Amino acid sequence: MTRPATARWSLFLFVLPALAVYLLFAVVPLFSSIVMSFFDTNGEAGNLFVGFANYVYLFTQPVVSARFWNALANSAKYFAVHVIVEVPIGLLLAALLTSGVLRRSEGVYRTLLFIPATLSVVIVGFIWRLIINPLWGLVGFPLLGNPSTALTTISLMSVWQYVGIPMVFLYSALLAVPNDLVEASRLDGASPWRIFWDIKFPLIVPQFGLIVILTFIWTFNGFDLVFALNGSAPGPNYSTDILGTFFYRSFFGSSGQVADLDIGATVATVIFTIMLAVTGGYFALVQRRLRAHMV
Amino acid sequence: MRWKPARTTLATLALGVSIASIASAALAEPVTLTLGSWRTEDLAIWQDQVLPAFEAAHPDIKVEFAPVNTNEYNAAIQSQIEGGTGPDLITCRPFDVNNEWIGRGYFATLDGLAGLANFTDTAKAAWTVKGATYCVPVAAVLAGFYYNIDIFNELGLTPPTTAAEFTAVLQKIQDSGKYTPLAEGSAESWQLAYNGLYSIGPAYWKGEEGRLGLIDGTKKLTDPDFVAAFAAFQAWKPFLPSGQEALSYSDMTQLFTLGRAAILPDGSWNINQVTSTGLNVGVFGPPAVEANGQRYLQEMPDMAIGINAASTKQDAAKVFLDWVAGSEFQQLYVNSAPGFFAMSNQAVTYDNPLAQHFADLKTGALLTPRLALDRLSAGTPPLDDEIWRQLQVMMTSDTTPETVTGELQTGLASWYGPQQAK
Repeated sequence: MTRPATARWSLFLFVLPALAVYLLFAVVPLFSSIVMSFFDTNGEAGNLFVGFANYVYLFTQPVVSARFWNALANSAKYFAVHVIVEVPIGLLLAALLTSGVLRRSEGVYRTLLFIPATLSVVIVGFIWRLIINPLWGLVGFPLLGNPSTALTTISLMSVWQYVGIPMVFLYSALLAVPNDLVEASRLDGASPWRIFWDIKFPLIVPQFGLIVILTFIWTFNGFDLVFALNGSAPGPNYSTDILGTFFYRSFFGSSGQVADLDIGATVATVIFTIMLAVTGGYFALVQRRLRAHMV
Repeated sequence: MRWKPARTTLATLALGVSIASIASAALAEPVTLTLGSWRTEDLAIWQDQVLPAFEAAHPDIKVEFAPVNTNEYNAAIQSQIEGGTGPDLITCRPFDVNNEWIGRGYFATLDGLAGLANFTDTAKAAWTVKGATYCVPVAAVLAGFYYNIDIFNELGLTPPTTAAEFTAVLQKIQDSGKYTPLAEGSAESWQLAYNGLYSIGPAYWKGEEGRLGLIDGTKKLTDPDFVAAFAAFQAWKPFLPSGQEALSYSDMTQLFTLGRAAILPDGSWNINQVTSTGLNVGVFGPPAVEANGQRYLQEMPDMAIGINAASTKQDAAKVFLDWVAGSEFQQLYVNSAPGFFAMSNQAVTYDNPLAQHFADLKTGALLTPRLALDRLSAGTPPLDDEIWRQLQVMMTSDTTPETVTGELQTGLASWYGPQQAK
């Protein structure tokens, strides 16, 4: 037996490497970008503290603020498509996988459905661009060229790619549902539909809530698929511009726009604040109450 | 034999010293310069042809070509230089982006670089701030119309020289029902501006007269000349392939190279791709507005090379730039990379026949760079980005040229001083 004090020390020692990496590559950059958003680093006087001037610029400069709100609305839409389409389909697939109707082929389906999630976004974007190409593809309508369909189209590509993630997540949650409960309800004459909605689903609601909030985080951090398809000024008419691409354009510049690190850091901080508020609010208000349904 | 001993000793000594210095120079580690660039596709050209020619003449200097992707280049250079890890030689973007970099002190001055005398002020304009030039011009690109000679022969057409002839040619190809008249799509907005409007537009806004007029505030985008240019571009719409709203630049090129479209509005940099399928390709310049009217041609300064101010190898870098400014390099580069055109006033011949055709279009035409890249894009919103966006809106919806130019003018006047005073 080790003494409690030694145990505490070794605990700390074991955590230290991961903690150091986390601090160095996540916490420090986060705080330095927050600090940066309060400075003007391009001025002739060197680094100059400017208070909230960068934020004022972001929210009051007519063009910049219009682009920001547009990107925020598009990110919300991007998230909505994922929540409305990806998560329910993931749930349906997970339910089918655990229902026993697939018998031995369960593993094959699980693997097949998860494969797209392992592909590079560049490949996914390229394949889908070819499939829906009005000249050589299956669809005659210019889905990506129309401002009213472009973002939904890209969202659905992303849904296709990542549907395996909520599926696997909910699948493992469903596997953990005690079999005796399911057996008992079946003996009581409950239909599979009833068993799923009245027994299984209430037991995985916390995980379901978690995958929704994770989807929120992933989509609001989304960038790669839009960038791969439409570049850093995603058209038509910025209809596919999401927070990720808006940030990239501010921080790294685009062909016609010179990079501005301070405004980029400001945008990053605003995005971080939005995500922190939503995620924090969700955990404080919703996730805690969901625990009541646990067995 | 007995020569005068003192002099012999002296001579031997001098000889010995000079041999020693030559030997030490030869034995010393050659200085290695890195050259940052966005031309990843040029890697083989630089490594196998251009740089060996330089290194053969200057064995004490090695140059390493280190390109990154076009889209990431500006961001990469900026973060490298701010972080102190920039390349010794920086490939310079033209106009505003580079002016910003000059302002931030990224470049060393090129005072006393003899090779700069090979370029006119117009050629150096894209890299000059307050009379000082910071980059040695490497190449410019031209924009025009590639056409499929076989289709033109089959339909009995000749390359148009006026706007009216151009429309007539498009109509005849359309009526034949066999080919798409124009291989053009709106998915990539940059090329609507660079290969479309900025190519046919100068004939309406009279090239430099209109461009410099916008810069000094004596002209507005809502002036009839500019509206007419936008309208002439919008008039292409009926001649575009179906689903053009979602066709990308590579789709357009393929449509043309597969022989399904007759004309491709494009830049000279695409010469190798359009001829890659063995198609019989010719090129014509943007049409004049009226018969016997003045022809204009877009000549866009594309690339130059400057020296990183923080580089520790300034002298070697200057030797390299002096060579870049000379005719050996110009001849070598434009013939290794067809589609690029030398900017110096030394005579250069082009081995690629299509490139020579393109160069011949310059004769008798007034040259002008892209409309909005000089000063007009150095604020928010940048005019160039806005033109891309508005052209995409115009070509994919019913928005009129009047609305588009009106909004562009409002955007420009919101920050650009000379346009506000009026």
